[in-house]
Amino acid sequence: MSEHVAVSKVTAQTAEYSSALPKLLTFTLALAVGPISAYFLSEKFLWSGNSTYAAITAIVAANLVLVGYIITSMNEDNQTPVVTSQEKTESRKTR
Amino acid sequence: MSSCPPYAPFFGFGGVAAAMVLSTVGAAFGTSKSGIGIAGVGTFKPELIMKSLVPVVMSGIVAVYGLVVAVLIVGGIQPGDYSLYAGFVHLAAGLACGCTGMAAGYAIGLVGESCVRAYVYESKVFVTMVLVLIFGEVLGLYGLIVALIMNSRAAEARCI
Repeated sequence: MSEHVAVSKVTAQTAEYSSALPKLLTFTLALAVGPISAYFLSEKFLWSGNSTYAAITAIVAANLVLVGYIITSMNEDNQTPVVTSQEKTESRKTR
Repeated sequence: MSSCPPYAPFFGFGGVAAAMVLSTVGAAFGTSKSGIGIAGVGTFKPELIMKSLVPVVMSGIVAVYGLVVAVLIVGGIQPGDYSLYAGFVHLAAGLACGCTGMAAGYAIGLVGESCVRAYVYESKVFVTMVLVLIFGEVLGLYGLIVALIMNSRAAEARCI
């Protein structure tokens, strides 16, 4: 009986936090791909070969990814307390 | 003695390696140390994990600083017309970025671990953590700025 409770709790938790994994993967890809592609693309198309400005563009892109991540994590934190309180009241009812 | 000896690219590529390797050492320390704290937090309050990953993202940015400087320096090295002056400039630029990245990653790791553990008990620590982490990451940014300024002067010397 306790095994069923544990399994359902794990699956409920993974369902609840499965929205976190796509976000994390998105930000990982953004941080891996964004700055270096910003460097090469801006060097070629924006700054006509000036590599210092291209490096500055890449750094701005990296810091934008960071700011986006901080804002996303703060917004997610404002959403999750609704779900966790519902889940806790449901689990109390099933017992 | 020529001002463009054939061993000049040794120093240039040494700068490339220093920028990438040393900043990655700092980022690895920052990621692992704060990851240890996040593993401790995650066992008690898994809903705080997304916010607790901010130090890890900042460590990644320190590594990106090193990557950008490495790519920047590599773009300026050529086999033929490369002066020893440019080699020294590139070496110094790579070392500046790499060692400051190491310092920044070290700071981010220590701050990230303890602030993430404190965040379990007091939610106002989050803003403090982000502020302190930004100050730590800015150390790497200073090294990057100096590396950029130095690299822009590398093409000054001519071969005689």
